[in-house]
Amino acid sequence: MIPARFRHVAPADLGGCVAALAEGGRVLAGGTWVLPEMSRGESAPAQLVDLRRAGLAELTATADGLQMGAMCTYADLLGSGPVAEHAPLLRTMAGGITGGWALRNQATVGGAAMAARPQSDVPAALVACAAVARVAGPRGARDIPAAELFAGAMRPSLAPDEVLAGFRVPSAAGAGSGYVKLKRGGSSWPIATAAAVVRLDAVGLCTEATLVLGGVAAVPVRIDVSALLGRVVVDDDVRAVTAAVADALPEPWGDVLAPASYRAAVAAPVARRALSAAVADAEEERA
Amino acid sequence: MTTAVPPRLTGSPVRRQDGDVFVTGRAVYTADVRADGAAHVALVRSPHAHARIVAIDAAAARALPGVLAVVTGDEAAEHCEEIPHGLDAGHLGGHHAVVRPLAVGTALYAGEPVAAVVATNAADAALAAAAVEVTWERLPVVLDAEQALLPGAPLLYPDWGDNLIIERDVGPDDFTAAAADAAHVLEGELRTHRGTAAPMETRSYLADWDPAAGKMTVHATTQNPHVLRTVLAATLRLDEEAVHVIAPALGGSFGLKMYGNREDFIVPLLARMLGRPVRWVEERSATLLAGTREQVLRYRVAAAADGRLLALDVHAIADHGAAAPTHGWGMAHVGALATGLGYALPSCHVRYQVVATNKAPWVGTKPFGKDGATLLLERVVDRVAQVVGVHPAEVRRRNFVPPDSFPWLHTSGLELDSGDYATALDLTLKRLDHPAVLAEQRTARAAGRLLGIGLAFELMPESADIPGALVSAFDTSTVRMSPTGRVTVLTGVTSPGTGNETAIAQLVADELGVPMSSVQVVQGDTERCPYGFGNISSRSIITGGNAAVLAARDVAATLRATARAMLQVEPTEEVVLAGNAAALAADPSRVLPLAVVAGAVHTLSYRLALDVEPRLESTRTYRPGNVRQVPDALGRMQTYTTYPYAVHASVLEVDPETGSVTLLRHVVTHDCGTVVNPMFVDGQVTGGVAMGIGAALGEELVFDPDGVPLTTGFKTYLLPRAIDLPTVELEHLCTPAPGTPLGAKGVGESGFSGALAAVVNAVNDALAPHGAALESTPVSPPRILAALQAVGR
Repeated sequence: MIPARFRHVAPADLGGCVAALAEGGRVLAGGTWVLPEMSRGESAPAQLVDLRRAGLAELTATADGLQMGAMCTYADLLGSGPVAEHAPLLRTMAGGITGGWALRNQATVGGAAMAARPQSDVPAALVACAAVARVAGPRGARDIPAAELFAGAMRPSLAPDEVLAGFRVPSAAGAGSGYVKLKRGGSSWPIATAAAVVRLDAVGLCTEATLVLGGVAAVPVRIDVSALLGRVVVDDDVRAVTAAVADALPEPWGDVLAPASYRAAVAAPVARRALSAAVADAEEERA
Repeated sequence: MTTAVPPRLTGSPVRRQDGDVFVTGRAVYTADVRADGAAHVALVRSPHAHARIVAIDAAAARALPGVLAVVTGDEAAEHCEEIPHGLDAGHLGGHHAVVRPLAVGTALYAGEPVAAVVATNAADAALAAAAVEVTWERLPVVLDAEQALLPGAPLLYPDWGDNLIIERDVGPDDFTAAAADAAHVLEGELRTHRGTAAPMETRSYLADWDPAAGKMTVHATTQNPHVLRTVLAATLRLDEEAVHVIAPALGGSFGLKMYGNREDFIVPLLARMLGRPVRWVEERSATLLAGTREQVLRYRVAAAADGRLLALDVHAIADHGAAAPTHGWGMAHVGALATGLGYALPSCHVRYQVVATNKAPWVGTKPFGKDGATLLLERVVDRVAQVVGVHPAEVRRRNFVPPDSFPWLHTSGLELDSGDYATALDLTLKRLDHPAVLAEQRTARAAGRLLGIGLAFELMPESADIPGALVSAFDTSTVRMSPTGRVTVLTGVTSPGTGNETAIAQLVADELGVPMSSVQVVQGDTERCPYGFGNISSRSIITGGNAAVLAARDVAATLRATARAMLQVEPTEEVVLAGNAAALAADPSRVLPLAVVAGAVHTLSYRLALDVEPRLESTRTYRPGNVRQVPDALGRMQTYTTYPYAVHASVLEVDPETGSVTLLRHVVTHDCGTVVNPMFVDGQVTGGVAMGIGAALGEELVFDPDGVPLTTGFKTYLLPRAIDLPTVELEHLCTPAPGTPLGAKGVGESGFSGALAAVVNAVNDALAPHGAALESTPVSPPRILAALQAVGR
């Protein structure tokens, strides 16, 4: 039950969505965040622009990775061969989403990105994958790298009249990935996440290393792990590059489930575990 | 007392009679009851924890589509009396608080209803509620019970001069004398957090006023339909017979649906004011207002060198929130009564203070204050064990009331009926394979892992009697057989969704020798069922069940007498009722279908058995014999009927880097006397354990610094999910309740307290090698990590 009167439009293409949004309102993707918020009376937009008929659910392999429409659900990711091959990190992330199958069948990666909640799996995972968002608006289309997509807590960097169309995700085939999420329990949102991607060359030297933390600050935090490049990575290296990650947090995020001091304290172990897992996975990829 | 017919269904895992209706979504809950033309209520709630209502402007709201009425607290107060208290502190030496359906003058907590909007649909009602403009004058808030007791604290009820709802002493205050020869005296403080219960079904009411007949019909999510009728009639200035309360299927209650909640009165009042059916379904954020368990427990304990407890002195400060007409504050009293229960403690004194703060009030919540008593004692026993250097299991064993000492008079006045606590402990340790788990712990600790083992003993006084209040230890059932042999049972007890109606049907079917399919149990209707006290204090089988057995025996006697007449045998001949037939014990070939006998009672009474009153119906009340309402020389009463207990063991691992807890094992040995249906008992204990684990680890009501609740749904009030819980490994003991027809003890509140205490003890055991301790709940990851950081980890 939504205690408000509002207009609902579901244009048949992206252009129609952009045109509709010009008259204001909120974009509706899977609806698992926006609709409960409206039901609780915390948001009362005059119009909902529903993307469901706009053809934004494609999920295909491209020459250099993936094309992922804004309306792809977590279940779509889990059922996709190309995702398993090119973005195993996203697959792992989708498999651990709180809410079970009912939510995975309904909620979308694009919706989670645009909700831009600090305590959400998606933003940091997209940054770690080096995804690039495709955005449409009245001034035309533009690309925004995931690392620039999050302007602040609950604040994507899109203009209010722009619509997220989807993402390009470069292939991580052959790389190792690690994803660690700390929660308060089965029903908790993420307290801290760490997404890591590591690529090793034929002799085992690290050629690529990425580590992004989520949940611990208003926006995803990329950790400098360039010290690993050109090395055979051992446990002590992982420990060394993650020991001081808390210092990289400009202002640790705190909420009702965990204070900022806790998030700062767990950032290092969560980061270390994800990076270790990515190194181990990369070694397996190489073998 | 024994039954002549060997039980067949009693003790069997009979499937729930209407289980298919529930699992296929066809059960009719209050919100599903159809009513043509019913209008919907939305409540305007205070956004502030303490504020004076300067003015309410409803003009904008009244102008919105579909709006039928906006009623303020002042207007509502003109149409009704204040809400009667279930347990009035003002009658017991404390303060009486006037509570009306909607706040008048001042809001005392965020979420308090101050006005009601009625509209033709729920969405329009909610929309209009948001449009009601209240002018507030914010007042200083007090959100902490200890601060509320300080001089100069903001006062919730200025007339009182303080914030103390009530303070009382339980047990003789003789610690100093009793502790004179103690080898050890320990002092400590335990802080428990504010939690609640989370029934799947929120509260809901549908009220319909018939002005011509002067009759109010209320469908309500209530545990106590008869008592609700009594207090509703008083509030609405109606005769009791003018109010008909019907309680449809309940989707869980846990105490939150006991009578006295304000919406109990708001919805019927609006129906009468508007002259049309009115309904309301509670929003989850409102269900999560109800508080419980938040206390500071300061104690001194004296122990002998061998770990025997000599004396305990407790000062409990209960953070009640605003005063309320519900029974909530009684949880502090019951906690005091239950403190130390089951241990042979020569001296135990509890002074409790129930304090008003600017939070939504305590509402009676399973297990009604006994949880704090369990947690306190089980922490105390573990601390004593540490000091005397004896294993915690052995310290418990040395202190248990021995099995040959019943009835055992506890210092609080409660009298334990029966039990074998040490055997329950043995069974738990055996199922755990305690030596193996201890060896595993040594190995883990050597590797730097934090593996903890926690034990806890819980003892739940059940089937309460509160002298002078509409909470009695007895209840009434009617058993009726039709001419075709169909059986209807009408009881004064209700079911919160546990299946006790099926268990009562099992008992009656056994007494009458009929199949389950012949028996229908009717509950929760004030115009069909005998007056009863409903579902509280784990009493449904003890009271309603025993009463149904007595009534069924009366009906069986008439059937037997009639069968003898039909078979033309002497009155001394034994007749067995079984297999839907009446047969001679001496010659089973001489047998009559029960429907034929029942038909004969109704149609051939002049021919067959003139000395038998031709009535296949009996109403009986079962009043347990061991309750004592008359105070003894020390002013103590014996107000509980049965004393089920359990011994829990929890094994868990703490992640030293994150404070996360992984539960590995949970073993419980439980004794609720005679078990009527083992599936239901296992379900109750398992559910109680899940709830206790949730309370230990994560379920917490959190407020912002202004007293506004932050935990408004299940994203923030974290219930445990299946993946968070270990398999609950159950063992059973059976010590029948002496002197009762069935021997059954309550089970509805079991599992919670011991699970809570065992998990807290296990976390402390895990942290012990680092010298860290956590004497407050919840033992959540942030708090565990902070405890480790405090000792330099």
